[in-house]
Formats: sequence, structure tokens, C-alpha cells
Amino acid sequence: MPKRKVAALEKVEADLVSLQYKIRRDPRSYAQEFYDQWLAYDAQRQIFVSSPATASNEDVKKFHDLVDLVAHVANLYPEITAPFPDHLKELLNQHHAVLDKELREKIVGSLVLLKRKDVIDSTSLLTTLFPILINTPSKTLRSLLYTKIISDLREANSKSTNHKLNRTIQTVLHNLVTSDKTSTKGMWACRITRELWRRQVWTDARPVDVMKEACLSDNEKVVVGGVRFFLGGDKEREEALEDDASDDDIDLKKVKHQGTINKKTKKRSKQYEKAIEKIKKQEKKKHAPHPLNFSALHLIHDPQGFAEKLFQKHLQNTKNKFSLENKLLVLQLVTRLVGLHKLTIISLYSWFVKYLSPKQTNVTSFLASLAQATHNLVPPDVIEPLIVKIANEFVSEASAVEVCAAGINAIREVALRQPLCMNDTLLQDLVMYQKSKDKGVVMAAKGLQSLYREVYPELLQKKFRGKQATMGLRSGEIKLRKFGEEEEGGIEGLELLSRYKEEQKKKKAAEEEEDENGEKKEKKDDDEEDDGFNSDEWEIGSTDSESSGGWIDVSSDEEDDGPVKKKARKHKGDDDGEAPDLVDTEKEDPAVEAERIAKLATTTILTPADLAKLQELRREAKLDKMLGTTQSKRKKELIAKHIEDGVTAEDIELPAMLGKKSTKEERVALAREGKPGREEHKSTQAIRKSKKEAEGKSTTNKEKARKKNFLMTIGKARAKNKRSLVETKKALTNHIAKSKQGGRRRNGV
Amino acid sequence: MGSSMRKKREKKRDFNKAKLKVGREKAKAANFTDTSFKSKSIVVNQGVLTSDGIDSAEQFKLNLSFCISARSDNQRREAVAYITNQISSNPPNNPVGTSGVLAKLLPLLSDASTSVRAQLLKLFRALPPAEVGAHVEKILMYIRGGMTHLSPDIRTDTLSVLDWLLDVAGDEVVSCSGGWLKTINSFSSMLGWNPNVGSAMTSKGWTTASKATLGTKKGPEAQARQIQALARFLEVGFKPEAPVPVKAAAYWDNIYRLPTTPNPFAYLNLFGIPRDEENEMYLDRGSRQRVFDIKWRATIAAGMEGARKEGGTVGRAAAALGRALNGGLDSSESGSGN
Repeated sequence: MPKRKVAALEKVEADLVSLQYKIRRDPRSYAQEFYDQWLAYDAQRQIFVSSPATASNEDVKKFHDLVDLVAHVANLYPEITAPFPDHLKELLNQHHAVLDKELREKIVGSLVLLKRKDVIDSTSLLTTLFPILINTPSKTLRSLLYTKIISDLREANSKSTNHKLNRTIQTVLHNLVTSDKTSTKGMWACRITRELWRRQVWTDARPVDVMKEACLSDNEKVVVGGVRFFLGGDKEREEALEDDASDDDIDLKKVKHQGTINKKTKKRSKQYEKAIEKIKKQEKKKHAPHPLNFSALHLIHDPQGFAEKLFQKHLQNTKNKFSLENKLLVLQLVTRLVGLHKLTIISLYSWFVKYLSPKQTNVTSFLASLAQATHNLVPPDVIEPLIVKIANEFVSEASAVEVCAAGINAIREVALRQPLCMNDTLLQDLVMYQKSKDKGVVMAAKGLQSLYREVYPELLQKKFRGKQATMGLRSGEIKLRKFGEEEEGGIEGLELLSRYKEEQKKKKAAEEEEDENGEKKEKKDDDEEDDGFNSDEWEIGSTDSESSGGWIDVSSDEEDDGPVKKKARKHKGDDDGEAPDLVDTEKEDPAVEAERIAKLATTTILTPADLAKLQELRREAKLDKMLGTTQSKRKKELIAKHIEDGVTAEDIELPAMLGKKSTKEERVALAREGKPGREEHKSTQAIRKSKKEAEGKSTTNKEKARKKNFLMTIGKARAKNKRSLVETKKALTNHIAKSKQGGRRRNGV
Repeated sequence: MGSSMRKKREKKRDFNKAKLKVGREKAKAANFTDTSFKSKSIVVNQGVLTSDGIDSAEQFKLNLSFCISARSDNQRREAVAYITNQISSNPPNNPVGTSGVLAKLLPLLSDASTSVRAQLLKLFRALPPAEVGAHVEKILMYIRGGMTHLSPDIRTDTLSVLDWLLDVAGDEVVSCSGGWLKTINSFSSMLGWNPNVGSAMTSKGWTTASKATLGTKKGPEAQARQIQALARFLEVGFKPEAPVPVKAAAYWDNIYRLPTTPNPFAYLNLFGIPRDEENEMYLDRGSRQRVFDIKWRATIAAGMEGARKEGGTVGRAAAALGRALNGGLDSSESGSGN
């Protein structure tokens, strides 16, 4: 056969990429070609499977390319390629340890591709990848699988929550954690759950349950993973949300401007439309109701049992060999749970005794945890020994000032939550430390004093009580809450609403009187005014005006009975009360008022209109309150803050920092903060300017004028010199007039 | 002013028109080194200029590795030729054994260069036939891969290799695992006589889907060659087995002697993955015929009829195929008659 000349294009025969392109364009015509390649793939697969570990590079490369081709067009020939997903799964399952790196990645990628093309479903993909993620020794494969799993779960939940898939995966994770409690495999369950929690893909109780199981595992790493999730998972989620919000801001103005300047092409117009679409979506998102996400700590099922188990397993158990750091983490979680859910674990407090000495490492964390574990339902006699111990160990003239301050502050934090744990001699002793020379100690002691002035002034000596506490004590405003007593709930600002309603009523009544002659005024009175009030300002409420009027009627009827009843009860309370000498009997009016207001809440239905008004009134009233006393409010805020975030060691150490003098380096660093970095000697102006330039911002008009080419300005300058006196004057007056107007652009107007 | 001029120049630079040059590029100097790339690591292929100091075994191995790794066609071809020489010399010099050579060189079946493939075929022919029999299954896998390769040249060359394999170990070819059905499947796909594709595509109507040919000039010679190869393959498959000479000691040998063939109990498939119908071993002629009649006879007969009508070389080849088919039929009938 004569030698044939080969055309250039024919040389590149094994071009699977172009075949793939052609198949996609016209799958029916290329069925035969695809079938050939399918057979080639099959042969190559057999070669590969016969000795996966020793396959030559050539074979691996060929197989890699064929897998790529088949994966890309598998959805077009479903019958021929039916066994393909199973082939890949089998390969990955059996040989993932010996497979070539690139081929392994290609197989994983192909499986994901098949899922994207709906050849296989998410569940089968994830159940394939997950066991490999856990078992493989290769780090790169693990990270690849991890990202693929996360992205697939995210994608599956992007449009609407895929409950079925989530449940399957959560069950798998749950089983993983619970099946082998000693292995580190549970780490993967922790990581995946935490990531999906952070991205708000999973927000219900099931993932929390998985983490709960992780906390109760035997492996230290897994436990720490679970505990860290509970301590920091929600904050992480919030931060991620904020990041998302601030991430992709599109400057619509800029895009529009670019559209006017750049060449108009289809691509650009599409880009513009996309940007608008995105902004619309963002707007929608902004206005959408905030997703009601409960924190993980609130979603725990049976917190009492969980906290008890955690405590017994990881803390109380003397055989436990966790490092101190991790023990502290567990302790933080336990105490957080106790404080948040008001649990009762009596043995927890006696366990603390061992650790409350200044020599203990990280003692401030222990103190913070103790404070966290205290709440108003803890028996005071359980805490009292601890307080005494802290006082004995930390607070003395001989101990270091930081130690002393930390001790007093810790006692204050505990007492804030359970004021009954203190006796008067100890308090007296501690309060006297405000005469100390160190500022930190003084502040801590004063803090303790001011706390007791608010919650339990009787315990303080008279001279330390202060004016307001004494007055409050005398007037009965400040009352000690007994153990287990809860504060009555109410609606904040309700009294404002009732007052406002009354005023409106009166105003309406006066108007009626003026307008009509008072024939049937008396009878119609209530209905009319309420009607008017509703229909005038709130259209929503107008429909149920009749009923609401009726309700108010009832309440006003009973107004006469209220005070009498109240008076009687009050007297009765006084008879067996603890401080009868200090309570004034004149103080009925506020009590009556409170009763009446409470009635408003219990006897009327607050319409949306009412609630909106309430909001408004509250806002108005806030300004007044800023000026007035906000005694107990402060305390409430404090408690609320701690319940949300927990007490940290920093909180305990804070007062000790007050008296400290900072070193020179610290002061210099503080002064430097927020100022531009300067490597060489340069003026601040120059630095700012270069920064501006680097950011691509334009210069000011002044700067432009200064930099204008001399030759451009010279003509005007010459003309100016030649002006007559009148012309000069005219120009100057014009200039003044213009600047008074606010320049050419009328900035002032 | 100075700075503004500089800035202006900088701004202008983007809009300057690049001068386009026409014509051939100036030839690079002989010692030119391309430094335009960046790389974290470099691999230096170990090549030896002189072949004096190395002993022959080392050189054999070196050439064996060149067969695969060398970049240039010539180098690969020369390496294959060297090994051919060594094997066919008297006495043959083969330090790695036939299995080593095969394991290394089989991927070359689908090498891009024609000359390398031709040389490879020569090398295969030089291999001692007795030692090939043990590796038939593996060689067949590569052959099947080559038969459905995208490039028609490789397909044709692969058929030559199959011919060689049928020459040296015909029985093993048709009786090994996957050797019978899978190879026929590849043949049918190669010839386009394929029932699978039609059913895979949803065109159930009376018109056939248009057939795109992917740059492959399916000339009559190539098709005739393929039909011939298929006829040859079927012939071997349907060949009546020679009766085994009676050996008095065979019974005792079976019980007490170690078997002389590699993997003597392969048909039991004790350690492999379970086989499906296609991968099954069809050890004797009867079973091969049965499964062929069920699965392929109709398709291949129809294809053969079509090819016969074309006449010319294809027609002649088809006639040979028909003889092979009929031979199979006749002997099976006669076999059943006996």
C-alpha cells in the first residue's frame, strides 16, 4: 500500500472532546460512535479493574478521558449507560485507596456531574461519598469529598428544604456518632453538621441532636467538636449571615454609568439586567421576614438529662483524662445550659469547691462558669459555701490586687443571679474593700454594693444603703423577692396606651359636647368615640370597633370595684408582710393603676393598630426614661446579656484591668490604631492621597485646578490683567453673589 | 506638570496600536532556551548517550521504559525495534520475561504513531507463542479497547494483532473470560451491525437514524478487513475440537499432579468478581455456538447479507464470513446428529 499523506486534522484522531461536543449537538446521529466509546470504556475499565494498583500511566490516562466522556453524555443515552453510575461507585468504594489521584478526582467529579444531570439522586451520591470520606487516608480526597458533600447538600436545599434527604443524612450522621463512640470518625459528623448549621441549611432540632450525641461521645476530639458547636455555632451563623448581606453589593449607579460609556453590546445589556435582577432579589430578601432561627441551645431536647450526663461523664468522672482546656469547655457548656434553662444539678456546685483557689490555672474561667451556673432557682444554701470559699481564698488584704478584684467581681456576678446567697457580715466585709488603694478592687466592691442597693438593701449597713435605696425601702418600692418567687409578667408600655386611650376618649367627649346638644350623648358616648378613634387613624381596627368598644365598657364598669378589692388585699399583705413598718399605706394609687392596666391586657384584645400605637408610645417615652431613674432596668439588661452570651473569664477579670497602668508599647499601639501605616517618612496628606489613588478615586476640583497645565490658564490670567476697574468690580460682586447662592449648583438651596 | 505628563503617557499606553508583523518568524538560534514558562518542579528524563558501560539487561529495561515514556515517535519505534531484535536473537535476550514485556507494551496498541504500532506487531510476532497463552485475557482487553478506538487506523492495526493472537493461541482467545461474547460485541459495533444502538435510541419508526461518520473513511478495504477478521474469529470459535488422545495416566495426573497450565481452575472463578453473561467463559464449542445462536446469529447474518450485496472486496469477505457461519451451523448440526 502506498504511503498515504495524513491531513493535519486527521492526525488528532483520539479527540474525545470534539466527539463529546458532536454527541451533545446531535445525540441520535452519533449513537454508534458513542457505543464504540462505551465499549472502549468498558474494555479499559476491565483492564483497570484487573490490576488497579499497577495500572500504567497510559491506561489510567485513557480511562480518565473515557470516564469523562461518558459522564458528560450519560444523560443522552440512559439505556446504554445504565450501569455507569454503579461502575463508578464500585470503583470508588473498592479502590479509593490505590486509585491515581487525578482519576480519583475525576470519578468523584463524574458522580457529582451525574447527579447534576439527574442521572442519580442526591441520596445515592451522598451515601456513596460519605463512607469514603470517613475511611480514606488521603487528605486531598477527604477535602474534595467534604466540599462536594457540603455543596451538594446546599444545592439540594437551595430552592426548598429537601426534608427527605436531610433526614437521611442526619440519620447517617447520628448513627456515625452513636455507633462507635471511641473513634474519631464522629469528627466528620461534627464538621458537616456545623458547616450546614452555619450556612442555615439545617436549622431544626435534628442536627442539634447529632451534636448532642457528639458531646456525649467518648472521644475527646469529638466531644470538643460538639461542645464548641454549642458554645459558638450560633454566633458563627449570625456572622455568616452578616457577611452574606455585606458581600455582594452591586453599585447600580456604577453599572448604569458604565452602560452609558461602554460600547453597547448584548453581553453588557445582559450584565445590566442581571445586576438589576440581583438587586431586586436582595431587596426582596431584605424585606422578607427575618427567618426565625432558634439557637442550638434552645433546640436541645431534654436539657436537664443532657446537662446531667455531660457533667457526670466528663467532669465528675475522675477517670476522665481530658485536658484542662477541654474540661473547661465542657464546664462552660454545662453551666450555660444550667443558667439558660434554669436546671438543677446540685452536685455541680459542690464539685466547684475543689477548683476555687487562686492557684488553680484558668481560675477566672471557673469563676465565670460558676456565675453562669447560678440562677434564681438554685438553693441559696448550696451557693453560700462557695461564696464563702471565694471570699476566703481570693479576697484578703494579703492577696494580690488582681486576685482580690476578680474574687469580689465573681461574687458579685453570682449574687446578681441569686442575691439570697449572701449573709450580712460577709457582705459588710466585702463592701468595705471600697476603701482599698487599688482601683480595680474599689470598683469591684462598689459594684457589689450598688447591686445590693438595688436587690436587697436590708443586708447592707445603713450608711452604705444610699439615698435611693433607703427611700425605696421606706416606700416599699424595693422589695426582696423570696426564694422561688417570680416576677409578674406584663406588657411594657401598656400603661401608656391606656392613658392615651383615655385622653382620646375625653377629647372626643368634649368635641361631642360642643357639636351636639347633649340629648342622647350619654348613652352613645362610648361606642361613638371608639369608632371615631379607630376609623380615623387605623383602618385595620375599624371592623372590630364594636367589640373593642364593648370590652372597654366592661373594664370601665369594673373600675369602681378595683380599688376596693385591691385595698383589701394590700392590707392583708401588710399584716403578714416582712417590712410593715416601712410601707406607706398611701401607696395605693399605683397599685390600683397597675391592676387597671393589667385588666386592659386581660380584658381587651389588642388590635394590630393598638400594638403599633403602643410601639410608638414606647418610643416617645424612651426619651423621658433616659432622664429618669432606670434602676431595675439596668439589672434586667445585665441578666439578659449574660443569658444570651454567657459569662466569660474576661468579665471576671475586667475590674482588675481598671487600675492597671498600661506600658508604653501598649499606649503607642493604642495611639497608632486606625491611622495609616507608614513605612517611610511621609506626610499624612501624601499617604492619604496615595491611598485614594490606589483605590481608584478621583481628585477634587481644587486639586484639578492646581494641576492644570500652565499654558491653559495663561490666557485667562492675561485677560484678567487687562480688565477695567468696573469689570473687576462686576466680577467680584458676581462672585460674592454666586457664593451666597451656594455656587453654581446652588448647594445651599 | 511632570507627573501629569507621565500619567497621560501611562493612560495612553493601553490604546496604542500594536504593530502587527507579517511573515515567518525569525529562526531561533540553535542554543535557544525557552524561559517563558514557570514551573515549581522539573523532571529530567534520564537518557544515556553512550551504551558502552551498561550491561545488556539494563539496556533492555531502559529501552522497555523508552517504549512508553519517550516523547518522539522515532525514539519509541526504535526502542520497540531494539526489543524485537533482542527477543528474536538467538539465544533470545529477555531479562523481564514475556509477561513483563507484554505488561509494559500492551498500552502501545493504541499508540498514535502508525510506525510504532507496526513495529509493535512485529515484536508480538517475535514472542515465543507458548508463553503468550497465559496472557490472552489481558491482551484481549486491550484489543477490544483498540477495536472501538476513535481512530480507524488503530482499529485496523488492532485487527492484525487479533489475527496474530488467533494464530498463536486461538483456543484460549475464544474460551477465556469475556473472550467470546465481548469480542463479538466489539466486532458488531465496529461493523455497525449493532442491535443495541437502535434500541438505545428512541427511533422506533421505520426510518433509520442518520449515521454520522466521524472523519472515518469507512472504505471498502477497511470493512472487508474487519469482516475477514470476524470470519477468522468465528472460524476459530466454531472449529471442532480435536479429540484429546487417550492417556492412561490422565486420571491419576488430575488427582495427584500439579496442573501445568496457569490458573487451571479459572472457570470456577473462585476469587474474582462474579461474572455476568458477557464475561462468562465459554469453554467448549457447543456452548459457544449456543450463545452465539441466541444472541448474535440473526444480527450478524443480516449484516452479512447486506455486505454480500455490496459485492467487491466486501462481498468476497462477506462470503467468507457466510462460510464460517455455515461451517459453524453444519458442524453443530452434525455434532448434534452424532
